[in-house]
Amino acid sequence: MAGLGRAALLLSLGLVAYALVAGSYAAWRRRRRLALSAQNALLASFVSTLVAAAVLWSALARRDFSFVYVSEHINRSLPLGYALSAFWGGQEGSLLLWLMILSGYAALAVWLNRRTRDLIAWVVPVLAGVAFFFAFMLCFVSSPFKTAPAPADGAGMVPSLQNPYMLAHPPLLYLGYVGLTIPFAFAMGALLSRRTDERWIVATRRWTLAAWTFLGVGQLLGAHWAYVEIGWGGYYAWDPVENAAFMPWLAATAFLHSVMIQEKRGMLKLWNMILVALAFCLSIFGTFLTRSGVINSIHSFSQSPLGGWFLGFIVLVTAFSVTLIYVRLPLLRARTKLESLVSREAAFLYNNLLLVAFCLTILWGVVYPLLTEALRGETRSVSKPYYNFFLHSFGLPLLLLMGIGPLVAWRRASLRSLGRMFVLPLAAAVVTGVALIALGFDSSIPGLLAYTFSAFVAASIALEFWRGTRATGSLVRLVARNRRRYGGYLVHAAVLLFAIGVAGSSAYQTVRERGLQRGQSMTVAGYTLTYEQLAARQEANALATRATIDVSRGGSHVTTLYPGKNDYPVAPGGPTTSNEVSIYHDPRNLGDVFLIADQIDKGGTLYLKALVKPLVNLIWAAGFLFVFGSLVAMWPDAVEQRRLAERYAAGAVAA
Amino acid sequence: MRRSPARLVIALSVAAALAVFVVYTAVAGAGTPQIQPNDLARHHGHVLLVGKVVSAGGDAHSSGGLRFVLRNVTGHPAARARVVYHGSVPDLFKTGREVVVTGAMSNGTFVADTDSLTTKCPSKYQPAPPKSTT
Repeated sequence: MAGLGRAALLLSLGLVAYALVAGSYAAWRRRRRLALSAQNALLASFVSTLVAAAVLWSALARRDFSFVYVSEHINRSLPLGYALSAFWGGQEGSLLLWLMILSGYAALAVWLNRRTRDLIAWVVPVLAGVAFFFAFMLCFVSSPFKTAPAPADGAGMVPSLQNPYMLAHPPLLYLGYVGLTIPFAFAMGALLSRRTDERWIVATRRWTLAAWTFLGVGQLLGAHWAYVEIGWGGYYAWDPVENAAFMPWLAATAFLHSVMIQEKRGMLKLWNMILVALAFCLSIFGTFLTRSGVINSIHSFSQSPLGGWFLGFIVLVTAFSVTLIYVRLPLLRARTKLESLVSREAAFLYNNLLLVAFCLTILWGVVYPLLTEALRGETRSVSKPYYNFFLHSFGLPLLLLMGIGPLVAWRRASLRSLGRMFVLPLAAAVVTGVALIALGFDSSIPGLLAYTFSAFVAASIALEFWRGTRATGSLVRLVARNRRRYGGYLVHAAVLLFAIGVAGSSAYQTVRERGLQRGQSMTVAGYTLTYEQLAARQEANALATRATIDVSRGGSHVTTLYPGKNDYPVAPGGPTTSNEVSIYHDPRNLGDVFLIADQIDKGGTLYLKALVKPLVNLIWAAGFLFVFGSLVAMWPDAVEQRRLAERYAAGAVAA
Repeated sequence: MRRSPARLVIALSVAAALAVFVVYTAVAGAGTPQIQPNDLARHHGHVLLVGKVVSAGGDAHSSGGLRFVLRNVTGHPAARARVVYHGSVPDLFKTGREVVVTGAMSNGTFVADTDSLTTKCPSKYQPAPPKSTT
């Protein structure tokens, strides 16, 4: 079976190499039949990569320990679902996942855009070039199909990965990371074919939106996994590997906004090219970070030989993008100019600058240890205060702009119209701010500002829906007529919920820790926690020890929680103990009572850490609204399809 | 023809971002030194110590605290640092694990900040387990 996997990967490599070389020649010399052949090679590479993936999944399902990858990542007692998820639990498997998604995306993108011959002719070799790198790595540097005499059992899976979230979080992130390749390929294809009008943007808008949504949801699921599994009471730690996924998402967010300016006003052509290249390079940079071991992360990554290859690839992609953009600069001139600093396009521009500035300050923080090591011979690192400072500096104005942008007119806004549009949102913001101060929630200035700005944004979104509904007579008709716009507002509402959840759960959380004997109680934020008993039971993979904690409020029983620990006798690196937190979701404050059995002494003393995190559940609720809003914005739109067809027709005439 | 104010906006925004950055680095300093046990003697003040746990004992919730010894992750095999720590202990903390802790030297012992101990989370891409032990 391993031989079949290796052969399938070699075939994929050959096919994408052919698509790269033949596709480039065909696009250059305008050979239609050869270009079609290159497209078919790219489609076929998806099939051969699927075969390779099926071989690995089959080996994991059968517990075929003659595959080194299988023996290093799972064992016999691991449930089937987790065994299959080991596909992306290791380096070689995750590279194969990358290639599988990329070839699948590429096949679909080529198939859907096969009529745009001049553009797609150059898109094919760009996609094939990226696929060639990953196929080469899998064939010659990091193969999942290495074999060795099979041991009696495998090394097992790290306990923290044995969580349902791990079935979805990594593949969703990869769908996002890899998805950014498609707009990049179309952008480079547009430059190579000299078709720098808006067609490449219209053709890839849904791809970008889908990749961005996957990346966002993937990160949110990862945050929730950290929250329920890692047992420290948080969901984001500004770790380099977390930041690696956040940076391309920020760049893609900026791109999604700035493409609207290019579509509407023919501006920011150069900026869009830079953004799409930045988002793609950052997605590769994230993969480089997770594999090179160059950055000290709480995630453990091997010092694998892949780091150098990825660095080389990033340099190559950056040099290619910069050179191509530079050479095609004359084609990237704006058709129109910004007429006023108070206009919707100006608001979008401010939004873009803030997003990119935030993205680059995070990048600076991530690479800071490398730079100080190289320049000063001493490694220095920045931590949470650095990132929080820039989150407040750039995030709060971004939040405010989310409410301002939709209310400002295109081209130029008058003071009178601004006053009319802003009076209600401003009133909502002022009332909220005053009420919060009066209620004593002014202990955190960033928290207070976040809530005040949130009220402004919520009012502006509500106002937009109300005005639109009044004009069309129906909310459904309103959304159906302009899915993109109102889907975007729903996503804004999701970001708002997210911001309120983050501000509430971080700025206003309460933490208490105490050693308790049986029968003793502690209080935290109005809840009384009583330690009742300790019990142990044997589970499939682990010995589970749980404390029983009665939670009451105002003398009334609220719930019973069971924080504890699991002891795993078989795990990579030897027996491992994991914290198993217990959480009560309080519907009254949309928050959580989060209990961690920090330490359980042999004498029975329980060191209980309790966190009360108001509004934290808004963060997870925001995820559902985020996906819903994205789906609305992505949903096929007949008006947009007509516009697309007209653009293609215009392009054909121009050609 | 009137010039577009876009360039002015971009220039002012870049300048503002740089100003914010400069203010931050001036006020909050430029990061924490990240060192291994062999470098500890040369640094006075707050540092981020990275090392592998050689031995551990004590109770992180008692007044005496959790006491452990760290060695270098890379190079200087003889270098050691004695650490005293109070607070939450991560699940994965044990002998042989790579940990990160912040704090400062005091009377020959590295006194760690409360709740600052983190272990490297072996969530994925682990190095292959050793084939044999010697």
